[in-house]
Amino acid sequence: MIRQLLARLPRRVGGFPIVPEKSVAGRTLLLLVTIMAFLSAVTLGGVVLVQKSAIAWSADVGRELTIQIRPVEGEVMESNLRTAVSLAESTPGVASARALSIEESQNLLRPWLGQGLDLSAIDIPRLIVVQLSDPLDADIPSLQRNLGAIKGASLDTHAAWRQQLNTMAGTVVLSGVLILGLIGVATVLAIIFATRGAMATNREIVDVLHFIGASNRFIAGAFQGRFLSIGLQGGLLGALLSILFFLIIGTAAGSVLPSEATAQVGVLFGQFLLGWEGMIVILALVPVMAVLTAVTSRVTVRRYLSEAS
Amino acid sequence: MIEFSDVGLRYGNGPEILTDLSFSIEPGSFHFLTGPSGSGKTSLLRLLLLSLKPSRGKVTMFGEDVSRLNQDSLLQMRRHIGIVFQEFRLLDHLTTFENVALPLRVLGQVESEYRPNVIELLEWVGLGERMHAFPSLLSGGEKQRAAIARAVIGRPKVLLADEPTGNVDPELSDRLVHLFAELNRTLGTTIILATHELPLLDRFGYPRMVLNKGELTIHD
Repeated sequence: MIRQLLARLPRRVGGFPIVPEKSVAGRTLLLLVTIMAFLSAVTLGGVVLVQKSAIAWSADVGRELTIQIRPVEGEVMESNLRTAVSLAESTPGVASARALSIEESQNLLRPWLGQGLDLSAIDIPRLIVVQLSDPLDADIPSLQRNLGAIKGASLDTHAAWRQQLNTMAGTVVLSGVLILGLIGVATVLAIIFATRGAMATNREIVDVLHFIGASNRFIAGAFQGRFLSIGLQGGLLGALLSILFFLIIGTAAGSVLPSEATAQVGVLFGQFLLGWEGMIVILALVPVMAVLTAVTSRVTVRRYLSEAS
Repeated sequence: MIEFSDVGLRYGNGPEILTDLSFSIEPGSFHFLTGPSGSGKTSLLRLLLLSLKPSRGKVTMFGEDVSRLNQDSLLQMRRHIGIVFQEFRLLDHLTTFENVALPLRVLGQVESEYRPNVIELLEWVGLGERMHAFPSLLSGGEKQRAAIARAVIGRPKVLLADEPTGNVDPELSDRLVHLFAELNRTLGTTIILATHELPLLDRFGYPRMVLNKGELTIHD
């Protein structure tokens, strides 16, 4: 299919291919570019997934505040809860505020304290979940000041957690970019070796072209056309394989993992869905790989020809 | 057209392969270049093809001292020189038509421009019916005629041939030399044909450049 597509591209002026379209060196280079494109696309897709999830987490957490009211002797918890809810609701930028029931608060503690423990005898802190309609316009300092009037009340904006989350996501993205850079360097080196191999294989063609008066520029151009085609094919194959990889992983995560684990993975990675933007980023690798292959090959061919002449 | 003055050639620090060559070749002439194996015929042809630089002396081609030419000018000059090899050196992945058209592709012509000329030349050398065949399907004589057609399609002023009859039978050798003679007569191409087949030299009465141990003598 790829060959048919490439055949539809406008051919080099003059018609017939000066460099053979099928050769062992060409097939090796095609396989190499495909593998490198696949690795780059999987890395890039992973970075996109993490970044998308980090942005979604950060946005979700940023739209929520938590007011905690600790039990204080002489204070009536229910009354303080109502006051805090009403203070929150009257704050600009707040969409809603809801106090968690005692059962909900106890459920939150169960993962740490274990099942079967009677928590009714313990005075546990109570929480109010505040949803913001617009995190940027919410007057959080004012709410913080007003809550000072309620003994034992404190406001958690999750800023520290968001900071850690952003740092972690940034580290993953940076590592991904670093890996991409290393894959890029490895690709360039491999293309150089493959190109020199291809030139040695096609030495007879180079000699004949020299004898009939072809310039180094013409010869490099003839080889570059071939390598551009290989880069396009390899890039496209690698990108399609990586998209298939993400689809399989997404499906496998849903069917192989137990439902609780699937839910947690879903929370972390959004069901492994790359989305359109992820696919566009991966497909953007195709021209990048083609250009990288063509430019590296051209420079290598020019050097080879300079050395040969 | 071509003038050599006290030209010597050595590879690296080895002995001189060609010694004190001084001769001139007039436009439109036909010369046989002969001599025993290892006498330096191929080296002289490579000097004439500008793919080697002399170790000493002066080579003038088409009125210019080649030692003063830069890469681009050398390339332009080389396009006035055609070459035919003993082992044909056709590109196996191209058809006869494409092999012959190659020098015109190199000059930047498109197929619509060169197609009629290539077909006409292929018919002239008797390969009109074989233009779509690949070299692997051609006989030795057909390959050499295709190689000759490739060498002359760009209308070179000088045509060099390195043992072009070395891989064909005597009858075909004669026919090939007749083809070179026809090119010389009709197009006025200057021809230097290297061969060590003495009967061939006797049958055609062209001047001989005889190389022996790196030294050249010319017999008109």
